[in-house]
Amino acid sequence: MAAPDVKPSFVYVTYIVAPAEKVWRALTDGDFTRQYFFGRCMQSDWKVGADWALVMEDGRVDCAGKVLECEPPRWLAISWRVEWLEEFRKLPEAIVSFDIEPMGAVVRLTVTQLTGPIDEKFLEGGRQGWPMILSGLKSLLETGKPLNIPTPSGEVPKAKG
Amino acid sequence: MSKPSFVYVTYIRTSPEKLWQALTDGALTHQYWAGRRVESDWTVGAPVTFWFEGKVSDSGKVLECDPPRRLSYSFHVEFVEALRSEPPSRVTFEIEKLDAQVKLTVTHDGFEPGSQVFTAISGGWPVILSSLKSLLETGRPIEFPTSACDARRAQAEA
Repeated sequence: MAAPDVKPSFVYVTYIVAPAEKVWRALTDGDFTRQYFFGRCMQSDWKVGADWALVMEDGRVDCAGKVLECEPPRWLAISWRVEWLEEFRKLPEAIVSFDIEPMGAVVRLTVTQLTGPIDEKFLEGGRQGWPMILSGLKSLLETGKPLNIPTPSGEVPKAKG
Repeated sequence: MSKPSFVYVTYIRTSPEKLWQALTDGALTHQYWAGRRVESDWTVGAPVTFWFEGKVSDSGKVLECDPPRRLSYSFHVEFVEALRSEPPSRVTFEIEKLDAQVKLTVTHDGFEPGSQVFTAISGGWPVILSSLKSLLETGRPIEFPTSACDARRAQAEA
């Protein structure tokens, strides 16, 4: 993990009525992520040191990195770099962690992003994207249906299922 | 030290009108807002009162009211002894329709540096807003285990 004095650039907490195992699967299984993660398919074998990638519908890699810590169904930490956009490619990698804490029939999911000292403008996408993604994840797990939020460009990401 | 502010964004499959009602109707807030019933006539300047088990937990005044898009009120904690001495802060709800969903942005600001109310609400809003989303999308709020509620309450009153 990063040095403990690094301040997170983004933290989001949401409570989901679902077992921890289901939340874990929704975060790590491409068939789930495709439904709520702007159509992206998450791919990895989820072993520490393995690569992971978020793959777009046309096969291009959006984001990628390595699995740093993996303790299903409670804790996942991955390094994160944006591949898709040219100006993001040279940035230092971020670390994103998913903390899944069961509380009876509910889990508290905390998503934390640690980023080195970079220009604020590079953080805007994540700050806007994560609430959409995690709202969609919660809807999918609680109602069986993801959200269908139009993106700022007017393009509606295809939801499957 | 800069003045702290809390911002939380959530997307809910509902209409702006239904979300507005859920934020302003005490029978509905009672279901998802840690047992609080909100009471106000929702005109600018009118008092806002949060009731919990027959006592006033929090109070304020309506600052802005533009249904079903924007609501703002001052917020003063009455219930928790340790927090009562802090001056009122401000809660603002912004509701934006996006096809069959709404984007809800909750901004809670106006805190002094080092505010304990800020610490309390930073943990509280994700609980309340997650349960609000569940209520509007599934018809049922989140039933948190009693032990977790007791722990949170104990923490808030400590």
